[in-house]
Formats: sequence, C-alpha cells, structure tokens
Amino acid sequence: MMITEEIIAAACLLGKSLHEDEALQPFFNALWEFQADDEARSLEEQLYATYHNLLARQQAGEQLSRDETQAFYELRRKVQTHPLIAKREYELRLIKPYLAEVADEISAILGVDYTILAQPTQ
Amino acid sequence: MDIKSNAISDTDPVRVNPPQAARALGELLRQTPEYEAFLKALKAVNNDLTVQRLGAQMRAHQNALQWGRDGSDQHEAELMRLDQELENLPIVQEYRRVEAEIIQLFRAVDQIITQEAGVDFALNAKRSGCCS
Repeated sequence: MMITEEIIAAACLLGKSLHEDEALQPFFNALWEFQADDEARSLEEQLYATYHNLLARQQAGEQLSRDETQAFYELRRKVQTHPLIAKREYELRLIKPYLAEVADEISAILGVDYTILAQPTQ
Repeated sequence: MDIKSNAISDTDPVRVNPPQAARALGELLRQTPEYEAFLKALKAVNNDLTVQRLGAQMRAHQNALQWGRDGSDQHEAELMRLDQELENLPIVQEYRRVEAEIIQLFRAVDQIITQEAGVDFALNAKRSGCCS
C-alpha cells in the first residue's frame, strides 16, 4: 500500500484545521491541564497498568480475588471523579458530535462509513 | 506501508475549515485504487445470488435467536455453519482481501489526521449505534 503525497498533505491539513478549530479549544485546554498535572497522569497510568495486568491474568485462567477487583473498581472511581480527568472527558464528549459531522463529509463522498474502516483496533 | 513523504510545511498559506478539508480528503481517497477495488468487490458481493440466499437464511436464524424461539442451540449452530459457508465463497474472500487493504489505508490516513489534530479522529468521530 502506498499513500500519495497528496493524500498525506490533505490528511495533515484536516488534522491541522481541527487542531486550530475554535470548537476544539476547550477540549485542548482541558487536555493540557490534565497533562500538566503529575498526579492526574500518574493516576490514569496506574489504572491502565492495573487493567492490563488483571486482564492478562484473567485471560491466562487465573481467578482474581475479590480484594483485587474491588481495588480496581475503587481506582477506576478515583480516576473517573478526578476533576481534571472528568473535565477532559466532559470536553471530549462535547466535541464528538462535531468530529462526527466532519467525518460525515468524508463518508458522504465515499458512500461508506469512514470511521468504521479507519478506527484503530482497541 | 510506504509513505512517500511527510514533509508538509508548518505554515500552510491557505486556511480551510475542517469540513472543507474533510471533503478534499474524501475526494482523494475516492480516487485511490484501494477504494475502487473495495467498491467493486462490495457491489459484487451485494449482487451475488448465493450471498443473498445465505444472508436471508442467516437473518431468519438471527431473528429466531433474537425472539427466543425454540431450539436456540440449533439456530446458533446453523448460523455458524452458514457464516462459514459465506466466508468460504471466493467472492466473499476477495471482498475480505480488499476490505483489509482499505482498512489499512484508512487507518494510516487516520493516524496522520490524529497526529496533527492532537485528538483521536475516527475513534471519537464514530457515531454510536443504538445497539453498539
């Protein structure tokens, strides 16, 4: 597969135009505030690390203890209620409809849902 | 994947809004060989009588499962068998091949958008369906 320079330039332009769009600035402000806060970042990193650890062990057939799962849910609650993380997620939710509208422009031309074909594997 | 060049000027002289930029990108993607092959394969699959027959049979079993009709195990087994039969058809295998190529292309494009935008684009632009 080869991506032409024209497509790369067009994708960059779309990305830049989104980055500079006024509608997205409250989200970026919330994101920067989160990124500047060591405690918030560390808390979220801890959640992901714990999640992947528990998932891997569970998939390997290990029975997780009640204490471990409860500790995970408590950590998740802390992350979800952290003011900076909650603010970032709130602002992200607000811009999603706009991002969907922008993606619709691509999908309308292609006749297929761009977001389904383009979204990274989770 | 071969990305010819990612040397894009930081100071684009023309400022466009995201919908305009999205339309321009959509037009370029529409002209790619990957998209043309995908569309051709999609049309071929949709017009194939065997695919239509198998699809109708699968929908009947899915409905039976959804409404909890008798013999759930039987419906599930039959659904799996029909799905396997569908996936084994050469026309469907060709569709899967070109689908994988367009997914690879679109994901690479989306990575560029995401990197420049500073927010995951396709992931957050996806409209959530009622049953997703």
